Amino acid sequence: MKRLLIGITATSLTALLALSACETAPVDGGLLTDARNAVAHAEADPNVTRYAPTELDRARKLLINAEGAAKDKGATDKVAAHYAYLATQMARISEQRAHEQVAMSRLKEGDSERQNILLQARESEANKARADAALAQNLAQNAQAELARQQAESQRLAAQMEELQASQTSRGIVLTLGDVLFDTGRAELKAGATRPIEQIASFLNEHPERSVQVEGFTDSQGGNEYNLELSQKRADAVAMAIIQRGVAAERVRAMGYGEEFPKASNTNAGSRQLNRRVEIVVSNDGGKIPGRQTTGNP
Amino acid sequence: MITVNGIRNALWCAIAFGIVACASAPMPTDKLAVAKTAVERAEQAQAAQYAQVELTTARNKLAAAQAAADKHDADVAARMADQAEVDAQLAEFTARAKQQEQLVDQMDAGLRDLRNEAQRNSSGAGATTPQPQPQ
Repeated sequence: MKRLLIGITATSLTALLALSACETAPVDGGLLTDARNAVAHAEADPNVTRYAPTELDRARKLLINAEGAAKDKGATDKVAAHYAYLATQMARISEQRAHEQVAMSRLKEGDSERQNILLQARESEANKARADAALAQNLAQNAQAELARQQAESQRLAAQMEELQASQTSRGIVLTLGDVLFDTGRAELKAGATRPIEQIASFLNEHPERSVQVEGFTDSQGGNEYNLELSQKRADAVAMAIIQRGVAAERVRAMGYGEEFPKASNTNAGSRQLNRRVEIVVSNDGGKIPGRQTTGNP
Repeated sequence: MITVNGIRNALWCAIAFGIVACASAPMPTDKLAVAKTAVERAEQAQAAQYAQVELTTARNKLAAAQAAADKHDADVAARMADQAEVDAQLAEFTARAKQQEQLVDQMDAGLRDLRNEAQRNSSGAGATTPQPQPQ
């Protein structure tokens, strides 16, 4: 009888052990609290209600099951704990599902955003191309207008020079004013000099980039020093007359060369007349006049 | 003797209850299969990389469910299988969400680069515009 009892006891102990193995992990009210918090957390996220309503609903129902089991059998009941655990996990699933959906819709937005950027880039490129074309056309028109202006300018210049009987030399345009400007031995301009001087002054006023060098020459009659001084005075007189007509003094230079650089032989009256002269050298656009090579008397 | 009998009866009761509770119910083979599938889905969603903790929990629960089933403990097997299923689902969705979020990060970086490039091209327009050459 005693042996039987012990045997029975051993068997029932095994059964009891088996029974205790039925219990899930630590069973306490903590799991239920966790579940309530997890469901509340998911409910607070508008993305969860929007993207994972099914999962959220299942979490709620599982929580209700857990609450019910806890009410019937106590919060430490293993069934209550089980449902509480399921509710917690389901609430987390609903959140992850919402995260995934949010990310996916963001990806879709990004795709159209990319299309937009590319479209705008293409548009701005097209606009740029149009602007470039317009600018190029504008430049071409300007260049053409400038060319026309320069042509007209050089024609006018040529006409004016022709009127002044100018000649193109290696030093620039040279105007030669004969001996009609001065009386013999004098350095005062005669009335007849007014017109060519006015023409030169107005030419210089129209072409502010140019300057002139007024060069005086005599024939070989008289002393060398006297002639040099006379030619300088005459050049000065012409320069002064030009300056008085509104041309800046630094654009007008006067040089007397006396008998030097004769045009003709000085052996007769005709050739001497050619040598008595005032030359006006007009600079090129740069305003420079190359110096006269001192070759001396021939 | 009454006490001994009482204890004996109680023990018999307990044995009977234990058998009813743990062994008499049919084994939840369908729940186990569902849990197993859920774990496999999580694995396919690269949960091993993106939701390691959740996947490990699911695998452990599935193993516990299987062990309980082997011991003919249908209740525990069913509960463990259910828990393994939700654990696996959580692992799967966590992994999927993380991967999508990673894609969003990459996309944002790409958009940033694209925007910068577009801005550079439009603001650098002057460099390619023909400039009047000095004569």
